[in-house]
Amino acid sequence: MKKNIFLFFLALFAVLFTGCQNNEAGFPSSEKPTVVVATKEIYGAPTRKFEIKATLADDLGLKSIQIQIPELSLDKVITFATDPLLKSYDLSYFFEIPANRGTSEVFKIKLTITDVSGNSIDEDINLRLDGEFAAPAISMVSPKEGAVILLSTSKEMPVNFVVNDDSGIDYVQVKCAELGIDEMIQLSNSPQSYTFNKTYTLPVTAANYVLTITAKDKFAIPNTGTLNVNIVATNEYPAIYLCDQPKGTNLTTDAVGVPMYFHEKNGQDFEFKYYADKDNKEVYFLGQESDFAPHCFGLNESGSLTDDVASAPIVLPAKGYYSIKVNPNTLVYTVTKYTPSSKVWADVANGLWHDVEAQRRPFVSVCGAGIKGADWDTWTAWVQTGLHLANNPNNPYQLVGEYTLTGTMEATFTGQWWSPSWRLIKNGIATMSPGENGNAKYPAAPGIYKVVLDTELERVFITKK
Amino acid sequence: MKYRFIGLFIAMLCSMATFGQITVKGSVKDKGAIPIPGVNLIVKGTGTSAATDFDGNFSISVPNKNAQIEFSFVGFTNKVVPVGDKTVLDIVLEESSQALDEIVVVGYASVKKSDVTSSISSIKGKELQTMTVGNVAESLQGKVAGVQITGQGGPGAQPRVLIRGISTVNLSTDPLYVVDGIPMGTSINFLSNNEIESMEVLKDASASAIYGSRASNGVILITTKKGKAGKTRFNFDMSSGMQLMSNPYNMANAESYASIMNKAYNNSGYADYLSNPSQYRGKTTDWWKAGIKGGSPVTNASLGVSGGSETHTYAVSLNYYDSESIYEVGGWERVTMRIANDFKFSDKFSAGITLNPRYEKWGGPNNWADFDKIDPITPIYKPADQLTGLENEYSIYARSPSYVWNPIAAVKRYDDYTNQYNLNTNGYLQYQPIKGLVIRTQGSIEVGDKTQSIFRPDFVIDAAHEKAEINSVERKNTTNADWTWQNTVTYTKTFAGKHNASLMIGNTMEEYNSNDVWGYGEGIPNNSDSMRELKAATKNRRSDGNSWSSSLMSYISRFSYNYDAKYYFTGTFRRDGSSKFMDNNKWANFPSASVSWRILNEGFMEPAKSVLSDLRFRAGWGKVGNQNLPAAVYQSNIKQGFYPIGGNVVDTSFPDTMANKDIKWETVEDISFGIDFGLWKNKLSGSLEYYQKKTEDMLFKKQFPTYSGFPGYSTIWTNVGSMQSKGIDLLISYKDKKGDFTYGVDVTFTTVNVDMLSLSADGERLYGAGNRTLTVKGEEPGYFYGYVADGLFQNQTQINAHTDEHGTKLQPYAQLGDIRFKDVNGDGKLDDKDRTKIGSPWADYNVGLNLNFGYKQFDLVANFYSSIGNDIVNENIKDLYNGASLTNKVSGLEQMAWHGEGTSNYVPRLSKDDNNENYTKFSSFYVEDGSYVRMKNLQLGFSFYNKFGLDKLRISLSGQNLWTWTKYTGVDPEVAGGDPDKDDRVKGSGFGAWNYPVQPTILMGLNVAF
Repeated sequence: MKKNIFLFFLALFAVLFTGCQNNEAGFPSSEKPTVVVATKEIYGAPTRKFEIKATLADDLGLKSIQIQIPELSLDKVITFATDPLLKSYDLSYFFEIPANRGTSEVFKIKLTITDVSGNSIDEDINLRLDGEFAAPAISMVSPKEGAVILLSTSKEMPVNFVVNDDSGIDYVQVKCAELGIDEMIQLSNSPQSYTFNKTYTLPVTAANYVLTITAKDKFAIPNTGTLNVNIVATNEYPAIYLCDQPKGTNLTTDAVGVPMYFHEKNGQDFEFKYYADKDNKEVYFLGQESDFAPHCFGLNESGSLTDDVASAPIVLPAKGYYSIKVNPNTLVYTVTKYTPSSKVWADVANGLWHDVEAQRRPFVSVCGAGIKGADWDTWTAWVQTGLHLANNPNNPYQLVGEYTLTGTMEATFTGQWWSPSWRLIKNGIATMSPGENGNAKYPAAPGIYKVVLDTELERVFITKK
Repeated sequence: MKYRFIGLFIAMLCSMATFGQITVKGSVKDKGAIPIPGVNLIVKGTGTSAATDFDGNFSISVPNKNAQIEFSFVGFTNKVVPVGDKTVLDIVLEESSQALDEIVVVGYASVKKSDVTSSISSIKGKELQTMTVGNVAESLQGKVAGVQITGQGGPGAQPRVLIRGISTVNLSTDPLYVVDGIPMGTSINFLSNNEIESMEVLKDASASAIYGSRASNGVILITTKKGKAGKTRFNFDMSSGMQLMSNPYNMANAESYASIMNKAYNNSGYADYLSNPSQYRGKTTDWWKAGIKGGSPVTNASLGVSGGSETHTYAVSLNYYDSESIYEVGGWERVTMRIANDFKFSDKFSAGITLNPRYEKWGGPNNWADFDKIDPITPIYKPADQLTGLENEYSIYARSPSYVWNPIAAVKRYDDYTNQYNLNTNGYLQYQPIKGLVIRTQGSIEVGDKTQSIFRPDFVIDAAHEKAEINSVERKNTTNADWTWQNTVTYTKTFAGKHNASLMIGNTMEEYNSNDVWGYGEGIPNNSDSMRELKAATKNRRSDGNSWSSSLMSYISRFSYNYDAKYYFTGTFRRDGSSKFMDNNKWANFPSASVSWRILNEGFMEPAKSVLSDLRFRAGWGKVGNQNLPAAVYQSNIKQGFYPIGGNVVDTSFPDTMANKDIKWETVEDISFGIDFGLWKNKLSGSLEYYQKKTEDMLFKKQFPTYSGFPGYSTIWTNVGSMQSKGIDLLISYKDKKGDFTYGVDVTFTTVNVDMLSLSADGERLYGAGNRTLTVKGEEPGYFYGYVADGLFQNQTQINAHTDEHGTKLQPYAQLGDIRFKDVNGDGKLDDKDRTKIGSPWADYNVGLNLNFGYKQFDLVANFYSSIGNDIVNENIKDLYNGASLTNKVSGLEQMAWHGEGTSNYVPRLSKDDNNENYTKFSSFYVEDGSYVRMKNLQLGFSFYNKFGLDKLRISLSGQNLWTWTKYTGVDPEVAGGDPDKDDRVKGSGFGAWNYPVQPTILMGLNVAF
């Protein structure tokens, strides 16, 4: 009861008090507020944020600012505290242009500033969507990210890249503090494309270097693009890759397993296990993962192994599994066909959950992240039948499927309750349970990918379809 | 009595000697046709008097036909009957509930109602017997001002009883029940309402301080039925009916479920969850119908025999209560017997003994929510092609992708029942050496044996998620042996005609001893009934056992005095010594004092007596305690557990609870003011009281500071903090009679305001119910604490405007139709600091309305109860409206949920991902007005008197909880406290989930007396 009486009086006073506020009798009359905008014209672009900057002031106190762009569904009111009164305010308001707007569109941003006395002023700012905000695009030709320069072969490092920008390029800079490189090329006439090509000499010591390339454009609000390239200068190859793609193929568009990382390494003796899915399969060995250059091992005219980007492929005569040994220093390789003896997981189709392992008909699906429909619950892996891998009718050691990747992915291929399971660790290795720990993350562009799990090789190949 | 006979004899001799006198004979009975012995008869205007005998018969001489005889008896309205030509008079006296000379039990004594100076409400057993309830407290609902009762559904459930609010945050809030003078703990599930003669609720400390350290939540005194001198009488009372259970929600069918889930998936950018919903048309699995009974029988029966002579009275009753659960299995069954014998050996010596053997059996599944939550597409049984024929009977059920375990299978597996046997023996011996001096000793022994037997069969419904690969059996046996012994000496004397004084002193001793033993085993060869024994277990046998004990020794005293029935004073003092505390604080004193001024008896009020029949003022003060904490908190305890250390799992011991040797009682100090009034011969009567209770030295379980070196989970009980409750109790009662029509209206009104005065440290914030309630200084305890849901985003402009001053979105993942959470502190961020008070589980007031009507042989009783102003967290919307879970949803959710501007401002859009945390952020979205008005009981009865060879036959039809008005959309607005095991009894109040509802019940009743 007491509470109700209290509420009644509270409500009564609230009404009275609100009434007082509405006629703003509490504040004396004052001058109109002022506004100084940072710019009368703002550049924006779809999906991009722009900033509204202005300085507001009032001789007595500011009450609010309203920012309106009706076409873009913006109607924001920022109300200021009145105790103490705020006499000036630096507006810095960001807003993102919706994706569905056209770049030729122009809008008015309406600012309405009101002070505590009830005075208000309006200020308009033009908003253009034809702004250019893309940093200059730097396209490396050489060296590619992760490039390996074998010092025993050559100490030269050719640096070759192309810069493109719609609004024109202001300058290009190449820097590598460890190598003493600091080269800045100021371009006249702001070309939309520029090619840099220069060869540097490396010291004989093995080391890792970072080459930083910077390019700045000539837009009203300049954009700067930067690219860091990691380079390994070494006397030995840290890794050798087997590539079964034709020369010129972009080796960075796939998610996992292309080119294929070696299986065993002893000094510079590398050993691969590989499945040739057809007769006369052509393969190369690469000294780096992301490109055919600078070290591509193929055959020369005499049929010997050579480190030459122009070399011919090694041909595996018949379909099947091979054990391949290669030494990039001695340039010796051997190819031996073999018949696998590991467990065949061929009856995975129509899998069935069952408590008794003997009666369980296994299936293989996937748990992970970045794969549409998958999470880390094996039940999800079971119910999302689209994730189930199928037998490769031509190879009982391979399970194949098609996944939609949504971004950086990680995966463990699994049957019922992690039995069996293959954890995808670094370098495309699918280690069978219990195996090694640590799921690796693989960056991937969203899209549909072909998935091959080779249980004999314990490797996964996820290639863009 | 002897003198009455002599008087009667002399009167008869006189009448024989007087020529012309008429002898009138007859009987006096009550409305139930039960003879009343000892009724006084006076021939008005003469000195002639008489009294009825054991069978209610009388004989009296009157001078002539014009004479009038006045019949009077304690507890009944006087009746004056003109003799006329009649020589035989059969008189029916009507009970007067407002009679001021009615006897009220006050704790270790009984006094006349007019002498009561403290706050005590008295309810007669027959008022409680109009309802068929397992726990009699439920029928108390709305009948006593100042008592808030929240019903709990389900067989054997115990309602929450709060007497004048709460006075503790961490301990039990239940009152102490004292049955026939013996404290029986905080539950009266063992008592049948048919066994009760009367119930007294001691509401303020001046009344309850005589129970000292256990009285801070109030005390309820229960007096059971005793025999009365007279012929042997039989009573048979039975009510039987059905408890109705309808689905509180209209759940989606298979096709609709598929559409709803698809919508949730599509809204989050996923493909359909269940493509082509129309393929499920007509293929709904009706789980509710398959597993929940629409009506479950309930029976309450009682057979009583009573009677006696001048020297021996007896009452024997056999009581049976059975309430079946809403499932195929389970329920609660209770058989009790009460054998009361009272002996009067002489004018000085009397004694009595009551035996009360009891048997209870209870158990039942508690998964009714799963019948609503499981998806409607999954069939009950596995399809034939998934069966191998090798499964056991518990493995043939289908697995639901909704992650809800198959509820039919769970009920089928259920085997968890408890059997309890108790025997209470309560005896007294009373000696009255001189007039006014009563020496009494009373003792009670309670022995009990409780056995819980559990069997869990092995089954495989889903090898990954829903299985028990090995069966197990478990049995726990708890025995208790408690005794109480109390001795009192009472001396009552009237000095100089106007000074009435009474002094009682005494002592009591109580000891409670219990022990338990537990056995567990696995790998029983099969699941057959006969093998469900520990002996049959072949693997992993384990056992455990413990014993515990507590005792209480007390000295008690009461002094009552009144001058000329105008000025009253009562003082009580109790000194309690408890085994729960160490020497420093083992003993504590609990004093009380109360005064009353019966102003109506003042000379200057004489003119008002034509209207006023009672008017008095009362004031009381007292101190009471709460010692309901575990028995041995003054000891440190070491706990055992397995922990991985250095790669190996090691059997470890670690400090669990730490001793506090200075621990002491929680003390409640209380003041109370009241006014009692009666008008027009108590046709209109009532009382109004104001009270204020303050708790000091509240008991809290605290964690140690990290620098102490104790692990974070080690706790210590400490006395810190205080709280206060205050409020008003009002009772207004009106009774009248117009010809054959009698009617009565009782209104009870209760307000409670509770505030925390201090906590253990300045600025301390006690969270409850998973950080969803907060208790801080200056506020009521356990208020709902969360974000403020400010409607739904209806359009893009609203989303764009919900930013900080720099345009950063407060809810970056919000989409149209998501909840807009308020930036309460205006700091431009939506974080923990924006949580605020979003509701209160405590009612502003409770109102009870009790109506009774009588017309000739018909009687009608209607009881209403309401709780106004409290809020309830409707947790079920997290299941029912939320597209992120795969559980079934309410029918029509696609239309209820936001699906375009203006379509809803409450239920957010369906979403598989709920990136905006509509459901995971605890907000005012969950908080609903929990006010309700409920018709607790409606009973129509018809009585035959002296027909069919019976003294009385009454048949009745009643409905309980048939009608409820509430805005709450959850299962039942009667929502009580939280999980006491998580210290959430108070701090977790008001969370409504899948509570077993208080069920509407339809009953037929039969009462026979002969």
